[in-house]
Amino acid sequence: MNKSALYLGLDVGGTHTDAVLIGEEGIVSHYKAVTDHDNLLLSVRKAIEGIAGGADRKKIQRINLSTTLSTNAIVENRLEDVCVIISAGPGIDPDNFKIGTYYYVIDGSIDHRGTEVRSLDAKLVSRIAGEVSGKGVKAFAAVTKFSTRNPEHENLIAREIGSAADFVTLGHKLSGRLSFPRRIVTAYFNSAVRRIFENFSDSIEECLCDLGIEAEVNVLKADGGTMPFSFSRGIPVESILSGPAASVMGIAALCDITRDSIMLDIGGTTTDIAIFAAGAPLIEKEGISLQGFPTLVRSLMTRSIGVGGDSAIHVNGGSVSVGPDRGGPAMAAGGTVPTLVDAFNAIRIVRFMDAEASAQGIADLAKKNGTSPDKLADAAIEYAVARIKDEVNAMLGEIRDRPVYTIHEMLEGKKIQPALVYIMGGPAEAFRDKFAGWLGAEVVVPPNYDVANAVGAALAKTTIDIELFADTCRRTMIIPNIDVRRTIPSGYTLRDAERDARNSLAEHRGSLSAPAGGSDMEIIESSSFNIVEGFYTVGRDIRVKCQIKPGVIKRLT
Amino acid sequence: MIKAKNRMGLIFFPAYDWAISPTHPEREERLLYTQDQLREEGIFDIQGLVEYKPDIAREEDVLRTHFCFPDAAGVTTESHMISAGGAIKAARLLLDGQVDKAFALVRPPGHHAMKSVHGNRGFCNINNEAIMIEYIRDHYSTRRIAVVDTDCHHGDGTQDIYWNDPNVLYISIHQDGRTLYPGSGHVSECGGPTAAGRTVNIPLPPGTSDEGFLYAIDEMVLPILKHFKPEIIVNSAGQDNHYSDPITNMNFSAQGYAMLNDRLDPDIAVLEGGYSIQGALPYVNLGIILAMAGIDYSHVREPDYDAAAVRQDKGIMDYVKRLKEAVLGVYFNPPTYEGLLPYRQYLTRRKNVFYDTDGIRETQLESIMRCGECTGVWSLETSSTVYPLSLGIEIPVGACTACEKEGGRLLDNAKKSGKYKTIQMIDRVKKEYYSR
Repeated sequence: MNKSALYLGLDVGGTHTDAVLIGEEGIVSHYKAVTDHDNLLLSVRKAIEGIAGGADRKKIQRINLSTTLSTNAIVENRLEDVCVIISAGPGIDPDNFKIGTYYYVIDGSIDHRGTEVRSLDAKLVSRIAGEVSGKGVKAFAAVTKFSTRNPEHENLIAREIGSAADFVTLGHKLSGRLSFPRRIVTAYFNSAVRRIFENFSDSIEECLCDLGIEAEVNVLKADGGTMPFSFSRGIPVESILSGPAASVMGIAALCDITRDSIMLDIGGTTTDIAIFAAGAPLIEKEGISLQGFPTLVRSLMTRSIGVGGDSAIHVNGGSVSVGPDRGGPAMAAGGTVPTLVDAFNAIRIVRFMDAEASAQGIADLAKKNGTSPDKLADAAIEYAVARIKDEVNAMLGEIRDRPVYTIHEMLEGKKIQPALVYIMGGPAEAFRDKFAGWLGAEVVVPPNYDVANAVGAALAKTTIDIELFADTCRRTMIIPNIDVRRTIPSGYTLRDAERDARNSLAEHRGSLSAPAGGSDMEIIESSSFNIVEGFYTVGRDIRVKCQIKPGVIKRLT
Repeated sequence: MIKAKNRMGLIFFPAYDWAISPTHPEREERLLYTQDQLREEGIFDIQGLVEYKPDIAREEDVLRTHFCFPDAAGVTTESHMISAGGAIKAARLLLDGQVDKAFALVRPPGHHAMKSVHGNRGFCNINNEAIMIEYIRDHYSTRRIAVVDTDCHHGDGTQDIYWNDPNVLYISIHQDGRTLYPGSGHVSECGGPTAAGRTVNIPLPPGTSDEGFLYAIDEMVLPILKHFKPEIIVNSAGQDNHYSDPITNMNFSAQGYAMLNDRLDPDIAVLEGGYSIQGALPYVNLGIILAMAGIDYSHVREPDYDAAAVRQDKGIMDYVKRLKEAVLGVYFNPPTYEGLLPYRQYLTRRKNVFYDTDGIRETQLESIMRCGECTGVWSLETSSTVYPLSLGIEIPVGACTACEKEGGRLLDNAKKSGKYKTIQMIDRVKKEYYSR
């Protein structure tokens, strides 16, 4: 970054909009306001105006935005009608995956090697397209089974739909990963939010122009990386559920994480948990689920439980519990129900606003249940701590029990041994002692954690992940989501494939004008299997997964 | 979202870094295309279907089941311990109540591995199903178990291990041994004197298709199971009856495999052979999983499936129908072994075993106590082209006091004789397994 350049991070969350301006020396200013749920654009505009005066605005080089726009549209079912056209071939009955009102299964099939088994019923596609466009449906999704191995049928569907569509989401462009049902859901959501997202993008660009800002704009993704605005217009679905990723990347920027670590973001209503392995945030094995629908959207592994500072304290018989409902604000802040913050306040672990009100609330609840205020407060805090620890242990267990597919991984698989527990969020300090010594790890409460999410958004890198698939018998190489398809020689090797994966990824990154950093590109998986027919090796089946690691462009430590 | 009717555990372990040799059918990518198909179908997102990591079997799990020469480590690699551990995991999930059904989709296979192990035969070193069953009998109260072996090859290893065990019913449906490795599995092979009728062989002629297989299930296997009333049914699930399999000659289809499992309703399935890794396994495994989970499988079929091309000859059905009487006779009216030696005497038989993969020849002398109280203490004298004369002694599950004592005496005598290079002891009463 050049000396005077500024980075702006914006996290338009469900409750608050946070913004932070970062310069060479660190955080220049930050801003927080309540999100105007019905007018996210206004929230964004106000945040920019609030954080940067005229002179600074000119210096903003990069704006990274984490927004709930697409998520809200899906959760609140404000979705555009989408015509989903799929072909499945043999397997599970595709009627099981029906989504939306306009869902059509047509004849055609491709097998796991990418060989066409049955040709596509293209005529039917144009008939369907004509029919639904007559009903005003202009958004389409085309998904075929094994399209990541051979996208011909999806491309053909798009051609047949032609001008009947304002846009068509092609399944293979979303991800190289296998999962036909996830591809259908993801393509559907993508088309269903695309217009909303596009309108939003246009408005943002107008607004920036208005404010005299010429920065490039990026959108945060759930995997903790960003994508350029221009690119995100094609795959807006990648912007869902980016909120937790913003905090995780924030911690990564605020602390120099290099070891196995646990991150606890203890907020008002929930505690979000993430895990770092050797300093890198762990990624979910499969894509993230939204509204119970598993998608192909790559995501950091985070869990959220209903324990936070404003969680209500409950006494049931002799047992004390906290949450998952919100009781807040705390009585110390004028609330009516004693919350976890009140418990900390009552026994003077923290000093927060009206401590008397907290003590009174806890005392009243204790009296009603025939116990002492101190015991009640202790029990509530212990419960919250236990819930958080249980969830962390469950996550560690899940990581430990993740299936592996080679003997090497089975025997040599690495185990996560947390050395540090990072606690952030409003009640972070209060919890510090409670986690001391747990798992033999050191507790750290980073400075500036209250703007970590905006910091994370500001400093997140552009990420891309690709899967290369090559079949030397068929002489084909394909990287579906970045549209690479090539004929290869029969002598093509794993080394060639790894080189092609890196080069294609670098080229794609260049086309996104994302800044390059040498060491952040990595091969995650790479394999080459013989293809044997009748006891003779006739070729190789080569697979390479390559990514730009999620990370931050600079640390604020 | 699809919901499984039965909570199902899938232990998927393809061992992508293990092969017998680079072009051997039992090689790295055997389950690669199956995994592609399962992932693309979204199998792992089905509600109620959970993928699990296998256990790693311990040495004692192997020594509880097999006599290994020179020892367990000498005849196994890590891959075998993980594959057997996959079967154990399936059993634990089922018996701990975590799932209603479990499928160990693991390799290498095991059903040609016999009681005594000197090396690899029929791609198998140790018997995954037997190790699992003995684990079950050691850790849970389950006693009556039925194994239905649907691999195209006769499971001579499993048959050998349970030859004298009346509590484990072994039924094998396979291509007639006169036309395929290992050559055994004739109807007349029906178990030793203490377990007569508890080994049932159904040798089907080459070219048998869905119709013949399902007839064998409906008319032979199911009536026998109904009578035997096992607590657990295990499908030793080979997939090489498929019409596209390169080393067999049957005409079974993916749809047929799914229907078979639907009707058989096994609690546990453990993968055995099946080497049509592109044309069959992806679809057969999908069919088996859906059928076991209680999910509609009617759309599962191979891309190249052609009903007319795999239809069986009319003569085959006539043959299979004639087979029914003989097969049911074996189970319901087994030979009585009249005129045998009196109780508390040893019955002996000699066997020669050939290890095709490793080219080993083994000679065995089996001596089993005709007890009357329990299944009888027994010993196995064995020598092979790779290992000198050795002895295995087993005090079986539920052995009577006399047999337990006799086992100790056999061991003492064997030690004193100085004849044996290695003596392997399996004491199922004390749960001790060791070599001398």
